[in-house]
Amino acid sequence: MIKHLIGLGVLLAVGIAYPAIFPNNLTIAISVLLFAGWATSWDLLGGWNGQVSLGHASFVGLGAYFVAIGQSQFGLAPWWTMAMAAVFAAILGYFWGWLTFSLRGPYFSLSTIAVAEILRLIAINEEWLTGGATGVFLATLPEPFGIDLFSRTAQFYMALAFAAVVVATVIVISRAQFGYQLRAVREDEDSAMAAGIDPTATKLKAFMLSAALTSIGGGIYGVVLAFIEPHVIFALLLSVQIALTAIIGGRGTIWGPSVGALVLIGAGEMFRTTFAEANMLIYGILILIVVLFLPRGIVGELARRHIRRLYAKRAQS
Amino acid sequence: MAGLDILLQNVANGVLMGGVYALIGIGLTLVFGVMRTINFAHGDFVVLGMYSAVLFNALLGWDPYLSLLLAMPIGFFAGVVVERFVLSRVVDAPPESALLATLGISLIIGNAILLTFGGEPRSVQVSYASSTFSIAGVNVSMVLLLAGIATVVMIAALYTLLNRTEIGRAIRGTAENRLGAELVGIDTRRIHSIVFGLGVMLAVMAGVTLIPLLFATPTNTGAVFTLKAFVVTVLGGLGNVGAAIAGGVLLGVVEVLGASYFMSEYREAYGLVAFLLILLFRPEGLFGRTVKRV
Repeated sequence: MIKHLIGLGVLLAVGIAYPAIFPNNLTIAISVLLFAGWATSWDLLGGWNGQVSLGHASFVGLGAYFVAIGQSQFGLAPWWTMAMAAVFAAILGYFWGWLTFSLRGPYFSLSTIAVAEILRLIAINEEWLTGGATGVFLATLPEPFGIDLFSRTAQFYMALAFAAVVVATVIVISRAQFGYQLRAVREDEDSAMAAGIDPTATKLKAFMLSAALTSIGGGIYGVVLAFIEPHVIFALLLSVQIALTAIIGGRGTIWGPSVGALVLIGAGEMFRTTFAEANMLIYGILILIVVLFLPRGIVGELARRHIRRLYAKRAQS
Repeated sequence: MAGLDILLQNVANGVLMGGVYALIGIGLTLVFGVMRTINFAHGDFVVLGMYSAVLFNALLGWDPYLSLLLAMPIGFFAGVVVERFVLSRVVDAPPESALLATLGISLIIGNAILLTFGGEPRSVQVSYASSTFSIAGVNVSMVLLLAGIATVVMIAALYTLLNRTEIGRAIRGTAENRLGAELVGIDTRRIHSIVFGLGVMLAVMAGVTLIPLLFATPTNTGAVFTLKAFVVTVLGGLGNVGAAIAGGVLLGVVEVLGASYFMSEYREAYGLVAFLLILLFRPEGLFGRTVKRV
């Protein structure tokens, strides 16, 4: 755990220096950091707890809408609305899980799509609540300590802080009792119950934490976009993208989702001219490769090889 | 009396639309019943069918129904290839692997179409697109009626295949008990390929019959049809072909009635709400006792 935290500290230091070194590549770095944060939050539920959600875009949308509507209609600063969004996302996650956690495996995944699609239709149609299909425009933002929140540098630091907090949370949880409960429920719900763990309560906690963290990232995304449209931010495609980022990187590993974000956003940028708007093709091809040849994902496979080598060395000596 | 006329009209449209939903749902439920695979790419195969009709129409000037002659065998073959090279490798892995693999296939199909045809909506103009004829005061659209007839013919053919032929018996045996089927000498891997081919063929056929009526877009339409197919099959009970027909008709009628008498902007949501309720409270479906029957 200490090793991972030191690693995170080093990466954070690199991240703080990044805008000074590459001042022109901030937008893509923000994408990588947001997706790293979302995918790592998703992984708390999807990887560590084994409940594959295909509805996490709902929480991204929730965070973005809280920030945009809070600012434009009530003059609330983004940090307050992000905190409110996190609380509300946790409550939504509680009821969502309460409704659907009786379903296991692929059936749970299907139900998350249905719930997320219903939420999307509500966001598009309830104009009094969300501004409807036209979306919400974020015209002004407060300037804390004279920092312009519309500048890409400020947004980069917000995204960096978000990703770092999420990864730190997962590092701590991975060694905490809660982390072992999550994994026990993933491996076998009935045995976990026999060992005195309440599977539904564990899954609910994981869903609530995952939802709250995702919505904070959604709030930052709202500030970055400054214009929020329901069919972009609530899209099934975004949910799929978040889930696949974590799975391709390596489910249930600390660094897998972040590596996934780096690889996928990087690859998307490389092929931007070739594929243009069809760049989800990369996600499709990579997920097929992962399912067929690397079932543990990139980081999971590397970790497996590393452990095998350690055992081989130990056997020799 | 005018109210009754409109009601009859709506029910007729709903039933005919539901027939096409049933056709889509049967493919999904057949694959699930035999292979236990939840096929996320099913809607994208429907879209592939739509684009094949667009392509044959643009290149050869064919009517969509004529292009079925080529599109259906090609669809069957494509399904067999996908099963052989992808799904057969994950059939014994945890069920999520197959789900993720089909999700990948769905993304590849949608985006490959986007690269080839571009993003603007496509359709095929046919001379009978707006022609209707009336039965007992109810106007029936020619396109929907043709789609309905095609659905009935296809369902009858499928029923015969499953219940009156040796391959059908092998398919039902594999669905019932894969190991048992292996023991009595059925090559279940071959059956899996055939079943997935059939599933894709049905999806392609539904796409072709829908193209005079709807516009196809590369990535969105696929997800919409996949969701509809799930709703249809879960309404009836996953893995049950007969119930998928009832589920399809039910969804068609509910959507049309809900949209015309209640809130039309929530047309898509009615099916989803029903889907959730049934998944939660009656996972075996409205009509099924067991999810294992085909």
